[in-house]
Amino acid sequence: MSAPIIRVSNLAVDFASKGIVVNTPLRGVSFEVESGKTLGIVGETGCGKTLTGLSILNLLPPNAIRRGEIWLDGHGELNSQNMADVRGVQISFIFQNPHSAFNPVFTIEKQLKIVAHRQGLDHHQGERIIRDRLKEVGLDDIDRVLTSFPHQLSGGMLQRCMIAMALLGIPKLLIADEPTTALDSTIARQILTLIYNLQKQYGFALILISHDVGLVSDIADNIAVLYAGRVVETGTTNLVLSDPKHPYTRGLLQAIPSASVVRGGLTAIPGQVPANTLTIVGCSFASRCSQVQASCANDPALKEIAGRNVACGVVTR
Amino acid sequence: MSPTQISLNHVKKTFRTRGLGKRKEFDALVDLSLDLRKGEILGVVGESGSGKSTLGRCAFGIVPVTSGKVTVFGEDISQVSGSALRDIKKRMGFVFQDPIASLNPRMYVKDLIAEPMRMHQEFSHNFYERIEYLASRVGLSSEQLQRRPHELSGGQCQRVAIARAISTNPEILLLDEPTSSLDLSVQAQILNLLSDLRSEFSLSYLLISHDLDVISHLSDRTMVLHDGQIVEFGDTQSIINDPQQEYTKTLLRMKSGSGRIDTLGTSSPSLPPGFDLDMWQEAPLNRWAFQNVEKFISTQIIEASSTPAPWAECKQSPWRDLEISGEGSIGSILESTYTDALLVVQNGNIVIEHYENGMNPESKHLLQSVSKGILGVLYAQLEAEGLLATSDLIIEHIPELAGSGYATATISEALDMTLALNFSEEYHDPDSEIQQQDRSANWRHRLAGDVPGIHPFLQSLTGSGQHGQQFQYCSANTDLLAWIAERVCGDTYATILSDRLWKPMGLVTDSTITVDEFGAPLANGGISMTARDLARFGALFLDEGYIGNQAVVPKKWIAQTLAGASNSVQSVEYLQVLHPGGSYKNQWWITKGENQEIYCVGIYGQYIWIDPTTKTIIVKFSTLPVATNSEHSRLHMALFREISRRKF
Repeated sequence: MSAPIIRVSNLAVDFASKGIVVNTPLRGVSFEVESGKTLGIVGETGCGKTLTGLSILNLLPPNAIRRGEIWLDGHGELNSQNMADVRGVQISFIFQNPHSAFNPVFTIEKQLKIVAHRQGLDHHQGERIIRDRLKEVGLDDIDRVLTSFPHQLSGGMLQRCMIAMALLGIPKLLIADEPTTALDSTIARQILTLIYNLQKQYGFALILISHDVGLVSDIADNIAVLYAGRVVETGTTNLVLSDPKHPYTRGLLQAIPSASVVRGGLTAIPGQVPANTLTIVGCSFASRCSQVQASCANDPALKEIAGRNVACGVVTR
Repeated sequence: MSPTQISLNHVKKTFRTRGLGKRKEFDALVDLSLDLRKGEILGVVGESGSGKSTLGRCAFGIVPVTSGKVTVFGEDISQVSGSALRDIKKRMGFVFQDPIASLNPRMYVKDLIAEPMRMHQEFSHNFYERIEYLASRVGLSSEQLQRRPHELSGGQCQRVAIARAISTNPEILLLDEPTSSLDLSVQAQILNLLSDLRSEFSLSYLLISHDLDVISHLSDRTMVLHDGQIVEFGDTQSIINDPQQEYTKTLLRMKSGSGRIDTLGTSSPSLPPGFDLDMWQEAPLNRWAFQNVEKFISTQIIEASSTPAPWAECKQSPWRDLEISGEGSIGSILESTYTDALLVVQNGNIVIEHYENGMNPESKHLLQSVSKGILGVLYAQLEAEGLLATSDLIIEHIPELAGSGYATATISEALDMTLALNFSEEYHDPDSEIQQQDRSANWRHRLAGDVPGIHPFLQSLTGSGQHGQQFQYCSANTDLLAWIAERVCGDTYATILSDRLWKPMGLVTDSTITVDEFGAPLANGGISMTARDLARFGALFLDEGYIGNQAVVPKKWIAQTLAGASNSVQSVEYLQVLHPGGSYKNQWWITKGENQEIYCVGIYGQYIWIDPTTKTIIVKFSTLPVATNSEHSRLHMALFREISRRKF
């Protein structure tokens, strides 16, 4: 087993208004990712997936307060001082919607060159590597792509450009936040295969953030299921998805529609994700859980059950 | 058939872009026809830009069509207007993708639900009760009626949209991506709600979605749309389970959760890293590949019996440390020969059953040339049924072979491998016929100049002398015999095997056989089955062609086969060392040894070994690093002889 590239412990984010904490969307998330491995972070809207990705790079709005520790191989603990060396160089980010992630008034070439410059590459090196990367991400007409403005390219092409941009300097860690959600399923699979192949080639660690359990199961080695700003179950993808233990994970998997489920017979989780985690007392899932007991009034910590970690006070094996 | 509620007849929809530049036309729908029947859910699936939303809008009269005819409730929608049109619209409901955007943010939920009823002037004395009823029916509380959309979650807004849609008691609902912006757990709630409402109000749905899971879960019939044209349209089950069009197959293969992305360069799912079609028979890939052939070669299923006759479970005595004279313990031999499975049956009882490399009693393993023995047994049946005689000339059944080396050959010469053909069995030589055959059967990548398909390959073989004189092991003969079997039975080889052997023999697990792109089977080596099922073929030889009370092959054939052929396999030197005086009969090797053993062997270490004297059957599956090796053959034979002669 290789050493972890990134170790996140007890990452929490508070949102404050006028000096008062009004919400804590992230309430202590811990995980680590080894080089060449993929961690899939799954969860529903508002559970803190994207915030986890953004807070690793400290890309939070000004009213957010970050707590906890993030350790990166070779850089130690990340803080506001060394973040500038790391962001976009050691850790890259792929955003969900490529059309809104690129600046609409600059050509692709201009935007890639800004990033190349930031990597410390000179003009000629930069140009060469930009062309290499665009070729590696499967773009053919590179001259046309380079002189295009973002709106002139399709979503799939633009997402490939973003991947090329993220990999200009070969980061240690790539964070992909819903990288294929805005794309058609056939294109999505191509992009995912591309990311996978580039990972095998360059060996970076990958954090894949998605609401789509199926997508994560296609690529991730490990999985962390987020609910209301906490990891409720984490372990190897195979183990967690083939035999989920936490009632939420189980409910999530049972909610996937398919031809084999009788129409109208989907096992839906009643209710919805709590909007504000400050109101949560005890287990965050208790209000929607079918196995709720008196002990659920206590906040469960992650503990090992059947080869993975589960935060549930009821499930024991 | 239920009455049609909406029908589209050769509908075309063209959008024109206007502006300073050139005027452009874009066909969103091209000559499309469909009918929505009463009470059904019709699913339309496609990628963005496929025209699926336009189709929904045209079908419900929201936008006019460019040409063609849209009939709703029997009326041409373009011809009605005024109150007649309003009457039609009253009988329709709409639910769109983004619930927050499709609801007026300045209105209260109660007014949003009431709006369609107000528009259609459906007032009654219990108007407010009806609003409350609708709200409760879609799972909203009466307190939520007093809120505005931004105070609700996405799922709750979609419930409001559904309540609006059903408020005028419509008969048909247009659902355009109704759950795409919702979370998985909320999506399940909405899908259940839609399903309940349909039965309760006997609604018909036109369901539009990019999500095949949603479509396959809800729809009765499914239409796959691409570039404004119907790719495939039919019963949902058959489209999901047996798609006919390449585009549908792609959609199914590409959907998320369809399998791990694990290969460089190829898009096929669930192959191990570094998988190469030209290398899968070699170590180390063969350790995985021999159990997973169907993941990279097309296969057909040989159906097992519906009334299986499994082997009785039996207590095994310790066997691992038993010594095989001069060779070490059984356990150590299994280890050194890359064993995947060893099954020993004595007097009808399983006495040793051992699996390695992730196998279990239900795991199928590629048989390689042990597949030939199965064809031999099938031929006993075909002859008994009078479908053919082994003295028949091959071209009597397959005239296409008149120009080939098979032109003057008989079936029995092919069965006993005494044909003189230019055929090299050099497994590692790319120019050998055996490798050419592998390529023609899609077991390897085709090279330029290769004949596509197994049958054309057989037609390309040439003769090398007089048939019937000398033993010459030639794998192609078995495929030729399978071709004849298909011809005389008028069925696929997989079905023939299932009907005539698998089912009467009570085999437990479905087996597979690899086929080329035309469906021709590679009968000489392409069967994958479980060790337990294969051992049943040994039982045939021990019980005079019977499995239990069921006669499978004639007693006479068993006796003939055990007696062997007249000309021995002297021509092959190492076989003379293994079993002096042995021969090859009906696709089985006859040892002519002291115990009259009979066996089949496949490359990389596949065996079924039958000792009629001690009533022992041995099945061994292995994934040796080399295809054939006389030392491995000798060791296996020593192992099998000693095990057979022991009493367990």
